[in-house]
Parts: sequence; structure tokens; C-alpha cells
Amino acid sequence: MRWPRLTLSIRSKLLLVSLVLLAIPLVGYSFVREMENVLRTGQEQVLLATARAVATTLHDRPELLERRAVAAGDDASLAAAPSTGEIEQIVKSLRRSSSRIWVIDRQHRLLALEGGLRRDSLEATEREPGLWERIAEPVLRPLYKLLLERPREDFDDALPEQVLSGGREVYSALSGVPASRWRQTTDQRAVILSAAHPIWVGDEVVGAVVVEETTNAVLSLRNRAIEQLIAVTLAVFLLGAGTLLFFASSLSRRLQRLRDSAEHAIDAQGRVMHGLPAASDGDEIGDLSRSFSAMLERLADYTTYLERMADRLSHELRTPVAVVSSSLENLKSETVPDSARVYITRAEEGVKRLNLILTRIAEATRLEQMLRHADRERFDLGRVVSGCVAGYAGAFPAFRFDLHLPERRIEIDGSPDLIAQALDKLVENAMDFSEAGRPIEVSVALTDGEARLAVANEGPELPAAMQGRLFESMISMRRDAATERRNTPHLGLGLFIVRLIAEFHHGRAMARNREDRRGVVVQMVLPLPNPEKSGATDTPNRAGAHARPDLNKADN
Amino acid sequence: MSRRIAIVEDDPAIRENVADALRRQGYELSTYPDRQQALAAFKTRLPDLAIVDIGLGAEVDGGFTLVRELRALSETLPIIFLTARDSDFDLVAGLRLGADDYLTKDVSMPHLLARIAALFRRVDVLSTPDHAEELVERGHLRLDLKRMTAQWRGRPVDLTLTEFWMVNALVKYPGHVKSREQLMSEANLVVDDTTVTSHIKRMRKKFLAVDPDFDAIDTVYGMGYRWTAQ
Repeated sequence: MRWPRLTLSIRSKLLLVSLVLLAIPLVGYSFVREMENVLRTGQEQVLLATARAVATTLHDRPELLERRAVAAGDDASLAAAPSTGEIEQIVKSLRRSSSRIWVIDRQHRLLALEGGLRRDSLEATEREPGLWERIAEPVLRPLYKLLLERPREDFDDALPEQVLSGGREVYSALSGVPASRWRQTTDQRAVILSAAHPIWVGDEVVGAVVVEETTNAVLSLRNRAIEQLIAVTLAVFLLGAGTLLFFASSLSRRLQRLRDSAEHAIDAQGRVMHGLPAASDGDEIGDLSRSFSAMLERLADYTTYLERMADRLSHELRTPVAVVSSSLENLKSETVPDSARVYITRAEEGVKRLNLILTRIAEATRLEQMLRHADRERFDLGRVVSGCVAGYAGAFPAFRFDLHLPERRIEIDGSPDLIAQALDKLVENAMDFSEAGRPIEVSVALTDGEARLAVANEGPELPAAMQGRLFESMISMRRDAATERRNTPHLGLGLFIVRLIAEFHHGRAMARNREDRRGVVVQMVLPLPNPEKSGATDTPNRAGAHARPDLNKADN
Repeated sequence: MSRRIAIVEDDPAIRENVADALRRQGYELSTYPDRQQALAAFKTRLPDLAIVDIGLGAEVDGGFTLVRELRALSETLPIIFLTARDSDFDLVAGLRLGADDYLTKDVSMPHLLARIAALFRRVDVLSTPDHAEELVERGHLRLDLKRMTAQWRGRPVDLTLTEFWMVNALVKYPGHVKSREQLMSEANLVVDDTTVTSHIKRMRKKFLAVDPDFDAIDTVYGMGYRWTAQ
């Protein structure tokens, strides 16, 4: 079974991979939780120690407690007790900020109460916000609000009766064992940690000291840590993802460039147009580009080898053919019986045809050599074409030639001889396929920046499979009839030569079926030279004005 | 006294075939399969005409070397390249070395004989100091049909035999278009259209070297070439 293929670019893949970075906050969060636990344990220890310290101080002075107890028993009014000040003095000296200490006797009567649970200035300790905070805070604030519970100072800090009398830690302390407890405030807004320690007088517990503190300090510490964690994670994530994105983009850009140049290196017919520049990068993509480049080079070599093969073949065959023909000529001078002469004649005809084949095969190669050294000049395409067509009319009276030329001069950069040679081949090709008595149309049309030299004939259409390949060397779709008529073998080099000449002029050659489906049009598309370079003979404006009617004509 | 022709050719069949054909015409032949043997023989005695192949056995360009050495021995000895190599490059290189003509091996025997006879005629004319000139004059052009030399505006134009025959064919009827086929048969040449084109191009260059304003050879596209009457 095939799964639907998920197509993702390298960029999106690397972005997905970068999601792994999101594991960082998870690790950080568990670390913060651990830290919170440690802090809470520490706070508990500190509170217990404070309770013990107060208890130890009071332990030395049992009379204070006794008196208080009596006073309480008398009056039950705390404020009125004269000794209150003394206990509170002691307690105050041991008190920590934002903690509350109270002392009770065995009957759970409150002997002294000192301090408050609220911290007055929670934010005062915070330092001046830095640049990063100023940028990130507004963005992150809502996120923090969503995720974090902020410690509140507006909780109900009343000391309820049941805490005073019913606290587990109080019972435990009164029975002689120090203890601590976490509890929620009655309004559920804060958590209070309370630690109780017994006050011993001799072997007897006479009361207990309870120290209370909210967990708000720890909570805000934890919150700060988490805030920083989020901020740092986010920054790292953005930085990491950005780097990956940049890296991925440069990778895909290089790959795309490589793909594009690889695609453009080979044309529709599979010929290597131009080599691939080998990249100098040392990584795998550079490696790939170099191997592409080497591959194309080998392919080009092979194509060249194939194209040269015909030439080499003809060259190698030349000598044995010369041996045969010179032998035959010598044989003619000998006294040969007349009955044998006919064979000499036939052999000579055969050799002549063989020679013609070899010459034709070599023609394309010689042309390629010539193209390498050909001079370019500015010439009027119309004059060359009309001259040639007049020549064909004289040379091939069996055919009718229709010529369509635009009225203005068509200046082309290139070689008129070569254009004439290409036109020869086009017309030769058209005549071979033309139905008897039907005209062969030769036309030049101007379309934007290009001149189209087209030769159309009426006759059989192109087989679909051949359309792209006609212009290759040694490709022919000749009917036997055409070969017979001309009595020369056809090697399919004519249109190959047309292509070479078109490419020499930076143009291209195309063959297609006529729009009226009655035959074939083979055309050369030649770029016109830039009007700026055409010199003083023709200003661009005038050229434009002239071009318009021609364009219309071409459309018709 | 019969003329002595030397053939330097590594293929024995062609060498002997050509030699037989020439012997039948009454020439005296000496044949050499490679450069060393030929050069050794030439140093003792020069032939009256040499036919040289470019590729000689293992020496790919042995013929070029040999012709250079031969030209050092004699300025006037007629030399013909007869080779299977038909590239423009080889042709130009061969003619630049001082060969009088360059033929491919598919040349027919009568054509080859015609060239050899023409070259000997030229040698004869040059060796007799006073002779009746057979001149053709067309404007600034002056052809000496016996010596097969050409002058333009009084200055000599160094044409090969093939080129001379082509010019001669063109100027016979100035203004008339000569097709490539006609030029080929007039020049005893069996080649394709492309070669005629490059011959014409080379001729133009030679005339242009003598006179930068030369434009007497006119291309008539699709038909051929003509000599424009001035």
C-alpha cells in the first residue's frame, strides 16, 4: 500500500527539526520545580529554626509565660497584660521580615503576636529593566499571565480560631514535637507555611512558638526563574530557527540553481548545449555540481563522438574508395573483352554514388569547421532570399515557388553565403516532399525582434515522433520515392545543416505541420540585430514605424 | 626526354594505380612509401613534379614536412597534394606551404592528368625566356594563360591552379553568373558547394591583399558568382 507522499521543502523540514529546541523549556521547567522544592524545604528549616530560637529564649524565662497565663486567665485581654511587652521584645528581636510569630500556652491561649505576613514592597527589590526586558516584556506579559500564578499580597491574614487551636503543628508542638505545616489561607489566595516549636520548662511543655510565613517569596522567585526561562528559550528558539531557516534557504537556493543550470544544459533533443560550471564549494552540493559537470562533459564528448563518427567514417572510407576507382580507371585502359566492360561501368557508377555519400557525410562536418571561421557581416536577408528563389525557379522548372517578403529591408548579422546554403537545404527538403504541381512557399516574416524564414510545402505531414529530432544528424524520414526520384541516397543531413547555420546566427530551426494540415513548414528563426547598433542609417523611431505594418502582415 | 614524376603515398594500391595511370601517359615514375625515402631520393635528384600525401604512415603530417623540405630544395618544383583529408584547415595549410594544388583522393584520373599537364605547361613557359604571351585583360585584371599567373592593377596575385582556373572561368564572360557546378567543372574540381564557397572566399582575400577596394567577384545568392565588369 502506498502512502500519500508528503512533499516538504528542505526549508520546512529543517523548521520542523528545529522544533526539537522546544524541549529546552521542559528541561528548564523541571529544574525550576526542583529549585522551588529546595527553596521550600529551606524555608521550612529556617522557620523551624526561628521557632526553636524563640522557644529557647522563652524557655529560659518561664515566669513570663506563667505570668501571662495568669494574666490571661484573669482578664483574657491581651492588650492589657503588662508583661506583653517583654515577650514581644524577645520575639521582635528574632523576627524575620514578612513573618508572623505567635506564642501560645498549653491552653491555646495567645500570649504574644508579632509581625505581619504581607510583604509591603514586592517589586521594590527588582532591578531596572534591561533592553531585552523592555522589548520582550510587552510581548511576553500575556503569556506569563496565562501560565503563571502571581503571588498576591491581598490575602486574608486573619488568624482564625481553628488555626490557633486546631493546627496539627500546634498540637504536635504542645505535645513536645516540633512540626511544620502548609496551609491555604481561608480565601485560598496564598499558602502559608507555619512551624511550631514547644517551650519547655523543665520536662514540661508550657507553650508553643509558632512562626508563619507565606510562600510568596519562593513563588515570586520561581516565577522570575520561569519568566527568564521562557524569555531565554524563546530567544534561543528564534535564533536557532532563524539560523536554520537561513541555512536551509541557502541550501535550497544552491540546489535550485544547480537544478536550473542542469536543466538548461541539455536541450529538448538531449543535446548538451553548454557545460555546467563546476562549483568550487567543498560540501556535498559542490560535489554534486562537480559530478554533474563531469557527467555533462562526458555526455558532450559522447555526442561529439557520435557526430564526428560519420565524418571519420567517410574519411576512413575515402582511401579504399579511391583504390577502387583508380583501379577501375586503370582497368579501362587495359584490353578488356566487351562483355566485361559493362561490369566496369556498373562498378564505376557504384563508386560514384559511394563518393557522393561520403561527400555528403563530410559536408556537415566541413560546415561546422567553416562556421568556426566564418566572418559575420550585416546584410539584407530579403535580397539573399529573393536571389535564391529566382535561382531555384530557373534550376527547378518543375516546381512553382511563391515568395512572400516584407517591404522593408531585413538587416541580419551573419553570413549571406550560409543563409543561402541553409535555404538550399530547406528548399531541397520541401521539393522532396512536395506533391507534384503544388507551389512551394518561401516567406520571410518579422515578429518581435526575430525574422522567420519559412519554407512550406504541401505533402505528407510529419510523424509526431519525428518532430523534435528532424534536425539531428543522420535523421531522415524520407520516403523511398524521394530517394528514387533523386537517385541519391538521403542521409538526413540537410536539416542538420540548417540547424547548424541557424545556431551560428544565434537562432533556431523548427519544423511543424501546416496549420491547414496540408503539409509541413520548416523555418529558421533568426534574431534581428539590436536597433541601437544599427548605426545612422535608420533611427529607432523610423524602424518602429516601419515594423508595424510588417508585424500585421506576419499575423495574417 | 620524358618527365619524371615522384609519388609519395603510403597506400600501395593507390600509389601503384596512380603510377600506372601516369606511366601510361608516358611519364617516368618513381614511388616512395614514406618521407625518409622520398627525401633521400630528392636530395640526390629532384623530380619534375611531386605528388604528395599528407599522412605518411606513422607521420600524420609527414606530407607537410616533406613539402617544406622540398620547397627548400627547389622554389619552382610543381607540387600537388593528393590526400584523403578534405578539411579547410588542411587545404589552407597545404597551399600556404607552397603546394601548387590540393586534390582529394576522389579526384578522377582525367582531372589529375589535366592538372599535371597544366603545371608542366606552366613550367615550360616559365623556362623559355621569350614566348608569345597569351593575355586576357579585364579592366584591372590581367591573366597570363600560359604562365597561369594573374595580375591586378599591375601587381601579381598569387593564385593556385584551381583558383586561376576559376578566375579564368569567371572573367570569360564578365557579368554572366557562373553556377558553382560550372566553376567546379571549369576548374577540374570534384568537390561540393561548400568548397567552391571557400575557394571564392580565399580568392577574394588574395585580391583584397593586393587592393583593399577589390570587389569584382560578386555573389549572386542562389545562383553562383559573377565577375562585375568595371
